[in-house]
Amino acid sequence: MSAYLNTRVSLFSSQLWLDGELDSLISVPDDAVADALTRRGLPQLAAGFGGLTAPNQDSRSLEQRIIAQVLDETRVMIRPLSGDARTFLSFWTARFEISNVKTLLRSKMTGERPAAVLARLIPMGAFGRLDNQDLAHAEDVGELLRRLEAGPYAGVVRNVRRAFEESRDPFNLDAALDRGYYESLTLRALPVEKAVGASFRNLMANLIDRINLVWLLRYRFNYKLPPAQVYYLLVGSRYSLPGTRLRELAALDSLEAVLAALPATWQTRLSGVTDIPGVFARMEHIAAEQALRVLRSNAPGIARAFAYLILRERDLRAVRAVLRGRHLGLAEADIRLAVQRTPAEVA
Amino acid sequence: MLRAEPLYRIQLMMLASEAQDAALALARFGVFNPASCSVAALAESPAAVYREAWLEADARMSKLLELCGDTGSLHLPEDAEAPSLADLQELNNWLKQVWVSCLACHESEAKTEDARAHLEALEETLGKLERLNVDLAHLLRPGSLLSVNIGSLPAAGLKRVTEALSMTGHLVSRFDQVGEQVFAVIAGPRARQEEVRGLLAQAGWREMPVPDELRTHPQAARVWLEEERNRLNAQSGAECQILDGLREQFGPRLHEARVRLALARPLAETALAGVCGKGGLAALSGWIPRRQLDALRETLDARFHGRYWLERHEPTSDEIAEVPSLVRYPGWLKPFVPLVKSYGVPRYGEFDPVLPFAITYLLLFGAMFGDVGHGAVILVLAATLFRRLGRMAWVGIAAGAVSMLFGVLYGSVFGYEDILSPLWLSPLHDPIRVLTIAVGFGVGFIVFTLLVNARNKFVAGHIAEALFDSTGLAGLVFYLGAVGSVVSLAGGADVGQASGLLAGVGIVTIAAFKWLEAKAGLGERILVTAIETLETGINLFANTLSFMRVAAFSLNHVALALAIFTLANGLDAAGHWFTIVLGNIVIIVLEGGIVAIQALRLMYYEGFSRFFSGDGTEFVPLRLEGGVRA
Repeated sequence: MSAYLNTRVSLFSSQLWLDGELDSLISVPDDAVADALTRRGLPQLAAGFGGLTAPNQDSRSLEQRIIAQVLDETRVMIRPLSGDARTFLSFWTARFEISNVKTLLRSKMTGERPAAVLARLIPMGAFGRLDNQDLAHAEDVGELLRRLEAGPYAGVVRNVRRAFEESRDPFNLDAALDRGYYESLTLRALPVEKAVGASFRNLMANLIDRINLVWLLRYRFNYKLPPAQVYYLLVGSRYSLPGTRLRELAALDSLEAVLAALPATWQTRLSGVTDIPGVFARMEHIAAEQALRVLRSNAPGIARAFAYLILRERDLRAVRAVLRGRHLGLAEADIRLAVQRTPAEVA
Repeated sequence: MLRAEPLYRIQLMMLASEAQDAALALARFGVFNPASCSVAALAESPAAVYREAWLEADARMSKLLELCGDTGSLHLPEDAEAPSLADLQELNNWLKQVWVSCLACHESEAKTEDARAHLEALEETLGKLERLNVDLAHLLRPGSLLSVNIGSLPAAGLKRVTEALSMTGHLVSRFDQVGEQVFAVIAGPRARQEEVRGLLAQAGWREMPVPDELRTHPQAARVWLEEERNRLNAQSGAECQILDGLREQFGPRLHEARVRLALARPLAETALAGVCGKGGLAALSGWIPRRQLDALRETLDARFHGRYWLERHEPTSDEIAEVPSLVRYPGWLKPFVPLVKSYGVPRYGEFDPVLPFAITYLLLFGAMFGDVGHGAVILVLAATLFRRLGRMAWVGIAAGAVSMLFGVLYGSVFGYEDILSPLWLSPLHDPIRVLTIAVGFGVGFIVFTLLVNARNKFVAGHIAEALFDSTGLAGLVFYLGAVGSVVSLAGGADVGQASGLLAGVGIVTIAAFKWLEAKAGLGERILVTAIETLETGINLFANTLSFMRVAAFSLNHVALALAIFTLANGLDAAGHWFTIVLGNIVIIVLEGGIVAIQALRLMYYEGFSRFFSGDGTEFVPLRLEGGVRA
């Protein structure tokens, strides 16, 4: 079975976009876009881009097609897996369903029509665990949360209802859902880390540390939340930035102070960064390099599959930016700037 | 019975305001299968809003029925009309009001229940605080520099909250746990109280209101708790009364709403397939049996008095893949339909295999499990379990009867071969003959499947495949030639030369066809042609030999009985009969089950796979109750 997964991952990895190849998608003529996408194993995207002037092309359907592509590939890779590895990879796709939950919650707050919100939800296919029809027809946020509490995401939604009843603040809902999801993900990752070892653990470490650092900076300096609340909203971590370090960082008063208080290796990695998007981009770049190393190594299949999915999603975000940029008629230079994946300081 | 009924594609155009009545009339008509509307000039979707309103109303109705119970059986008057869009929206709004009222009651009841649980926890807490000898009045005094909160939070979050609060100089002291909730005292500098407010809200902290009574004398606190409990009980009773009142108040109208929703369902369901239109015009598309066209016109005339336009045409070659299959079966054949449908639905125009399946399946089962006694047991069992098995019991009854018939032919009763003399042959005494008959049956069956496949291909317009492919007439010619050659080699007939020629012509034709069909480079083309041609011969050979299992199982049946008799004969009287009974039960359950599966396997893999694609679409008529599949 591992031979099947390894072969699959190796085949899929030949579809990843190197930076130069992505650049060619920016400059390729309109009628050659579909062909370029098909060559990279993106038939779902190519199907919607027969011609970039097609009237039915819009960003929402593009988003849905991109996720459909990721789900399709995950479905293929998950086939030979069982036990903890299968549970983990399945739950990795649950991010999209959590995003659906957020959409549903917002629609209830704004009184959006069920039909309209249903059309905006991401079709989860075989990975779908929620009855979207039923949830979309809930009368208000309270009823929706009660229904979610009785479903497969009870663990993620726990506390969300009470937090919402206390504050009626949509931020509380989003933050609680995100935290709940990543807490559940790290729990599911633990047995896989034990079984697989460093290659998988490093990928998880990069993911959770990046999330925690970026959230910490955003909550603390963009939303001006008090340190204790910021710390509470972060994901419980057992990686490079454990709880004690995160508490120290959350208590600091400026971005510069936080960056200066990071471990020495992190300071080297983030040298020259001056803002939060820069931190995110640099850390994502580091995570992508790490994922590429795992993908090219002889690490166990689940680690390589996870590394591939990390890289593929990064690729698809860039492809989406290129296609949107082309659709909006932006200049090639502007699109290049938007999809620049290698921070200038690193390059 | 052997193929799907001929259908017409119809397009019913009418005033958009009457679309719901047209859909209702079609649902009452009972043989209209909605299909997507594809008229370029009618680009709007006039029923989309109707469907949306219906879906919302239906969801609310389901929730109300869940809460209030069923309102009784549904009777739809013959002359009832479907609600218009405005009526449906009004109905939906009314259902929303009712549901919101119910929800408020429900929510209030849930909160009361919550408060009651909290009160119980508070009582327990009081007991613990009493034992701790803590002066609550002193601890909770408002003017103190120390801010103290008493309350509960989910146990899973306690560690994190404790860590987070330590950043603000607050201490968390846990003093009790009830289920998943941990009760704790949080104390810290009052000046930093604001900082922790957001955190506590996020953590699901629930403040425990400690009334003045609780802060003074424990006895007074107990009295307060008792009063509070009584208040909650009274409140709960009042809420139940409200809910009962709602049921009484809305019950009859709720039933009427169910009727109206049922009448609105046909258009809502048709809209899923696609109702198109433009301006005040709407069009419903779908399939109806050709012979029902006049009846449909009469129905529409009676309802709309000419205010409609009905177009119809035969399925075009582009549409053929999406035409649903409607096959009508006589009652006696219907029990076999699910066994065929579990393989697939025949395409429109394809040969429907239910009748040959029923005959062949029973023949194979009887031939492999021929025994008067065992067949009778199966027959009686199936008849006894008729209520539970429903229509499928007839398959068991028929299989039992055929097993009995073959039992008479084989002369076998519960494995005893000396009670009844065989009318035809005894498998154990003439195994070669049984094997020859089984293979002969297989040859006949395969010839039949090749002919059916050639016919299906011909009907579908694939003439070249019907004539030259390995599963078409060329395959049949090769197969007959090969069979003739084998028979000649075995000395059964003297047709060796002619058969060899026939087989040669057949296989060369197949190879030439494969060569022309393969779209690849020269090397790959040679390889593909060679392998596929070879595969044709091997497959037909293997499929034919596969039928030897029919003989093998009929021999196996006798051999198993013999084994049981040998065991039984070595025992005393009681042991003998016990072994005979137990052995026969084993034969019926184990061998009967295996034979049933083997017969099915032969039908599916040696038969259906040769001519039956099984990827057709079932005809699902629009009906007044139930729905159309998405």
